[in-house]
Amino acid sequence: MIYIPVTSTDVYHNFALEYYLMSEKRFREPVFLLWSTTPTVMLGKYQDATTELNLANVKRYGVHVARRYSGGGTIYTDQGGCQFTLIYPDEHTEIDFSVGLRLIKTALNQIGIQAANDSRNDLVVAGRKVSGSAQYVTPGYKLHHGSLLFDSNLATMAAVLKVDPVKLKAKRIASVHQRTINLKEQQPNWSAQEFKDYLRQAVVSLQQAETYQLTPADEARILGISSQRFANPDFIYGKRSRLAHTGKRYFQGGGLARISYSLDNQRLTAVHLSGDFFSNLDTGRFEQALVGTKYDRSAVLKIIDAQLAITPIMGISANQLTGLIFD
Amino acid sequence: MLKEIHMPKLSPKSDDYFFGEWIKKPGESVKQGDVLFEVETDKVISQVESEEDGILKEQKVATGDTTKVGDLVATIEVSDH
Repeated sequence: MIYIPVTSTDVYHNFALEYYLMSEKRFREPVFLLWSTTPTVMLGKYQDATTELNLANVKRYGVHVARRYSGGGTIYTDQGGCQFTLIYPDEHTEIDFSVGLRLIKTALNQIGIQAANDSRNDLVVAGRKVSGSAQYVTPGYKLHHGSLLFDSNLATMAAVLKVDPVKLKAKRIASVHQRTINLKEQQPNWSAQEFKDYLRQAVVSLQQAETYQLTPADEARILGISSQRFANPDFIYGKRSRLAHTGKRYFQGGGLARISYSLDNQRLTAVHLSGDFFSNLDTGRFEQALVGTKYDRSAVLKIIDAQLAITPIMGISANQLTGLIFD
Repeated sequence: MLKEIHMPKLSPKSDDYFFGEWIKKPGESVKQGDVLFEVETDKVISQVESEEDGILKEQKVATGDTTKVGDLVATIEVSDH
């Protein structure tokens, strides 16, 4: 194993470092990184920033917004916690979290923290989450990264992340805050930096890892990737964002219609209409007409009805399209 | 000859995948090992490679679609030779 020290707390730099190691440097043995960031929220690759984040609080608290190349949900990190990254050559395409989780769990156990796996590939202590993981799999390489909460600001975390109230109610969980726990509760005498140092020492000694120092040429390339990809607002907020909900149906005589949409505060914040139906409908105008509308069946039906009165869709009624959002 | 591309099984836990994005466009030539598309399941983004040489003819799914293992996702025109 190769250990690469990371001194930057810039999330865009550190995501660029991961990308550089995986797609360009391509070491033939596993690489391990342990790093921290200034207060940051990290979106999954296909998540929508407006759905996941309280953007007013993100701005108020000066939190950076970044998008990962890996999947999964949005997380909050700061210098009270740390991120681990394991990049390794692997020809298997089947998803497997066990290699990385075993390494981190063993290292945590060695420094006296009794972490265990749960069914969602998280690490838990006494049933509460202390670490979440995600992966990015390309031909020949796997990237497994995760976060560890040691002394993170859980109040800021709760303020900047939105949680679906329906999901919480269903799971009988009162808030983001209650599901997570800081590891400092286990080791109250350590600082976050000491925790990170102990964890690094444990991993390096378990794996007998050799240290590789990034060269000025490596750093120059990493900065280029950072500005082109990870710090680029189009990538963070742009077209790739995943709309939170999709309704799709095949209508006899009309064809397939699909409406994807996001909601904020019970209003439609983004709408995308697609399908193989027959119409001269200006979908951009249709979508814009719906953005901002209250998430209420009769309000949405009224707008769709007005749009189809201008340009109808053959074989699909306004009522049926409205049903894609509400049924 | 037209070859069908089906969603491969990537996760031991789930057969429902979120379709991420196409890396290749219809009409583009593809080689065995080229990445065709990205798909998400179980907090993992996986790039899926082509097993054929040919021309990508038709994409059957789009970003945001839920696809199941075995679903038809694309067709590739391959040489008969």
